[in-house]
Amino acid sequence: MKAKEIIGRGEEVHGRLYVKVEKQEVRELIKTLKENKFQHFVMLSCIDWIDDGEFELVYHLWSYEYREHVMISTRIKREGEEMESLHDLFPQIETYEREIKEMYGVNFIGNERLTPFFLEGWPHMPPMRKDFDSKKFIKDVFESIPPVEDEDEGI
Amino acid sequence: MKYEEWSKISRIASKKSLWILHFCTGCGAIEMPPVMTSRFDMERFGMAPMATPRQADVLLITGYLTVKTLKRVIQVYEQMQDPKYVVAFGSCPINGGMYWDSYNTINQLDKYLPVDLYLAGCMPRPEGIINAMMELMEMIEKGEARGWEKYRKNYEKYKKNQEMAFKFGKVEE
Repeated sequence: MKAKEIIGRGEEVHGRLYVKVEKQEVRELIKTLKENKFQHFVMLSCIDWIDDGEFELVYHLWSYEYREHVMISTRIKREGEEMESLHDLFPQIETYEREIKEMYGVNFIGNERLTPFFLEGWPHMPPMRKDFDSKKFIKDVFESIPPVEDEDEGI
Repeated sequence: MKYEEWSKISRIASKKSLWILHFCTGCGAIEMPPVMTSRFDMERFGMAPMATPRQADVLLITGYLTVKTLKRVIQVYEQMQDPKYVVAFGSCPINGGMYWDSYNTINQLDKYLPVDLYLAGCMPRPEGIINAMMELMEMIEKGEARGWEKYRKNYEKYKKNQEMAFKFGKVEE
């Protein structure tokens, strides 16, 4: 794989290069790839490994020249650890970081735009965390709202 | 002529000219184009799609609603002129459908808006939609579709429910 030659590490998984790194190394790696024709930042995703107490952040990159997909994965602690914002490398990272902040509560230092995104007026814990009890939430919020009864005005 | 007699005539006339505003929230929007166009041709029943809420008679909620969308639906509904009817489409507005345990999907639409007719299915076929519309026309003629009166009468209760949903259950008394 061309990507492996460029960065000299990682393993091939299902035709993609999967690179596990520390969070300090992510910036340098993405920068190197960007300079070597990996010009498409596909997405940034987050996985909640609740048993390990960690969040996994995966940065996906794609090259049109080599037709290769690279996944750069890093793990941070669920509580009390923050990630550096990389939106100066690819501007679209800003929006992905904004979404992950809302859905998982991961803070990205340097991103000025971590404002509410999809959820308006959300007062609870971030809903995509594994310890968010969805069924209990439904029971407390939506099921506790009473139906509007009116015997005169039948439907 | 008495008011009751006149309103009966007006209902018979209005049931044959329903202008529909389809609020395309979920997958139900996909079923609407065949209903509107030549294959199923809803215009032969006097129904036509309408672009604005202020000229529409029927509000079609075509799928699941998140809390964020519900706010917009309520704005649209309150802009419509009386008499107005709400048809809830598919299983999602009935009890949440496949999104019943989602953190952001309201499960039952008629807690927040008066629904005149529920149309079950996931999604309902165009035949089902036309059948529901015929049913709605019959209800209008008989004077059974009175959701808009219910909304006026119980406005406070509806507003309270809506507010509870917007704040995700955390309402300060």
